[in-house]
Amino acid sequence: MNKQTKPLRHVLGQSQAAALLLLPFMSVYLLFLVYPFFRGVWISLHDWNLLAVAFNPDAKEFVGVSNYIKVMWGKNIIWSPLASPVLQLMGLGGAITSALLHRSGRLGRTTALAIGIGAIVFFILPGFHPGEGGRWYDRRFWPTVGNTLVFVGLTVPGVTLSALVLAVSLNRETRAMSVLRTLFFLSQVLSVTVVTLIWQIMFSPRQGLIANVTELFGGSPIVWLTDERFAMAAIVITTIWWSLGIAMILFLAGLQDISRDLYEAGALDHATGVRAFWYITLPNLKRTITLVIVLQIILHFQVFGQSHLMTNGGPNDTTQVLVRYIYQTGFRDSDLGRASAMAVFLFVIMGAFSVLQFVLGREED
Amino acid sequence: MKHLIIGAALAAALAVPATAQEVTLARFFGACEDAGTDTKTSVGEACIIQSIINAASEQIDGVTVNTLPTDWGNYYDQLKAAYAGGTAPDVHVMHRSSVAEFAGLGALADLTDDLAAAGIDTTDWAPAALDAVSFDGGIYGVPMDFHANLWHVNMDLMAKAGLVQDGKPILPTSPEEMLAQAKMVKDATGQDYLAADFAQFPIGVRLVLALMWQQGANIFSEDGTATINTDAARNAVTAITQLFDAGVANPQLNYADSQQAFLNGEAAMLVNGTWVVDFYTAEAAKEEVGLNNYQVADFPTLFDEGATWADSHMWAIPASLKANDPEKFQAALKVLAFINDHNVDWARTGHMSVRKSVVASEEYANLPHRADYTGTASIARDTPPSERYGAIQDVLNRELQAIWLTGKSVDTALGDAEAEVQDLLDR
Repeated sequence: MNKQTKPLRHVLGQSQAAALLLLPFMSVYLLFLVYPFFRGVWISLHDWNLLAVAFNPDAKEFVGVSNYIKVMWGKNIIWSPLASPVLQLMGLGGAITSALLHRSGRLGRTTALAIGIGAIVFFILPGFHPGEGGRWYDRRFWPTVGNTLVFVGLTVPGVTLSALVLAVSLNRETRAMSVLRTLFFLSQVLSVTVVTLIWQIMFSPRQGLIANVTELFGGSPIVWLTDERFAMAAIVITTIWWSLGIAMILFLAGLQDISRDLYEAGALDHATGVRAFWYITLPNLKRTITLVIVLQIILHFQVFGQSHLMTNGGPNDTTQVLVRYIYQTGFRDSDLGRASAMAVFLFVIMGAFSVLQFVLGREED
Repeated sequence: MKHLIIGAALAAALAVPATAQEVTLARFFGACEDAGTDTKTSVGEACIIQSIINAASEQIDGVTVNTLPTDWGNYYDQLKAAYAGGTAPDVHVMHRSSVAEFAGLGALADLTDDLAAAGIDTTDWAPAALDAVSFDGGIYGVPMDFHANLWHVNMDLMAKAGLVQDGKPILPTSPEEMLAQAKMVKDATGQDYLAADFAQFPIGVRLVLALMWQQGANIFSEDGTATINTDAARNAVTAITQLFDAGVANPQLNYADSQQAFLNGEAAMLVNGTWVVDFYTAEAAKEEVGLNNYQVADFPTLFDEGATWADSHMWAIPASLKANDPEKFQAALKVLAFINDHNVDWARTGHMSVRKSVVASEEYANLPHRADYTGTASIARDTPPSERYGAIQDVLNRELQAIWLTGKSVDTALGDAEAEVQDLLDR
């Protein structure tokens, strides 16, 4: 053995060996992720018709940031501090709260800074609106971004809370519990087409389970997928059911890392049940919860199938989400440049949340 | 014709070594698992077309046809992605309304000089069919049908409401009369007057379009000006919303639900296309289905002139196949010829034939309910050709659904639709 490894060590230094081992990953990563990303940015700077360019590579035209302007800006756009009072006051409130919490020492510096910046963005962005005689060049873009935010805002807490409750109640070493754990995880392995098919049947006002139950209690069935008030709720419920599993497994892993000793010590001080959960489990799960929330946010910003297959973005665009709009612009309208500009916007949002996770994760070390 | 094909096939078989050409084919119409090869007994669009394709694969010498998996709702997106990626199917179905976009970019093969040699007689096509596959002076496909919106009628409900005369349904001649008849149906039967997919596919759009055309109006002009925020559009929309307001129609049903409501006997009328006539005929014959006495009617004229939305299905071949693989191109042409020869089988769905010889045949005249909607061919209409047809339909569908599903005001919705369609036309 020694005779064989020694010469090899002489041939390759440590950093060379590292480079060799990294090579397969790096080549795939560069080819399939980094290159397409920069290509996407490049496309977003062109007037680029999907089919026309495929037949004639010269059919594209460099237009600079014109696609971004056409998507995100408008004619005579002005800013005022109270254009969308609710959102802007929430943003302002968030910024002040994070500053106060930092002052009183309850928030670390970077966390306070991250939340503060996010809150200020919330204060600034909704303040833009078309002035007199003005209009957005693309009147669907910002409402679509808003819908995506609503979806993320409902789904992430929904998944996190229900997965946490499930994980805590299933965290026992009995056979029944392991069967239940498997059952709850099972929905996760289904593809989006199957999940949406199941739920379309569930929500159907004519033959659906939910409609049958409401009728049993004398109510008139809700037309979930075509009613403006319920369509978003329907795809949120579907998504929570679908993506519960991974969050639950992460929480279970986190729970098993908490030392039994802590609970025994807590029990001596009468901290059992809900109190043990509140004072022992939650503080120890803090990092897992942060991880789950940020992962879910990044994942659910990319929602597409649920909206595309269940509601077609309707009714009245209330469930139109960003990725579906990108898809329609790129494929139905063949406008690849514009679609890429929107995709870059989505990348910036998700990138911001990745940075946030990085910052929060480092601080707690 | 057959001899010509066999001759061509023989010639081809002799000219090239006997390797079977595999032709890939993409289509919508939905899936049919066991279609078989009997083109005379299959029922419904999916199974009839698949039986024709299976028969082509079996009967054409040296050619096998491989039907690619596709999905109705995303068909054109898939097709475009395939073209853009250089992997277009050798033969594919499409709508007349998409010819402008695909042929305009040079995606489709010009078949003008190849059809006769393949045994396809273009002089047998109805003029409107030839027009449907023509673009810029060339022929870019083989037409398969005219399809249009019809009124499918539950005669039992109509009879109960006293709306039958000489075995035919009494249909309205004005929006006011429609509301009055709708109330008669509701009072006599407790059921809805009219069902349609107002919540999913653009069937509600086609209804409104028909009512606009009936007033001599359109949603945009040939020169690219959107004309949606108009009195004609308001009249068309309110002709329909008055039914919702009176509680004699339900806007919240999607395609499957509205069809189910009609088959359950919960609506006297269903607005849907020619493509379901044979299917509903078969369903009405079943004991357990609520609909028993089924008839079809031409879309009624509620305003000045007759009009109903119509389109055509057609088959095309990619330009790249003709340029790069002449042998496979010949094989693809044979598949098109086979489909053209089986036009009468396709007409069994309820679609209208594009071939004069088929229309004149006894077999065609004897198809179920064929005599009920002979007027449809002469009132068939569509919007002016546009590369943004799909996007425009989508805008209208969204704004109209906003009116009847979310209570958006008609004026605001039509104003928004006009602005957005104008943006699309200007883009």
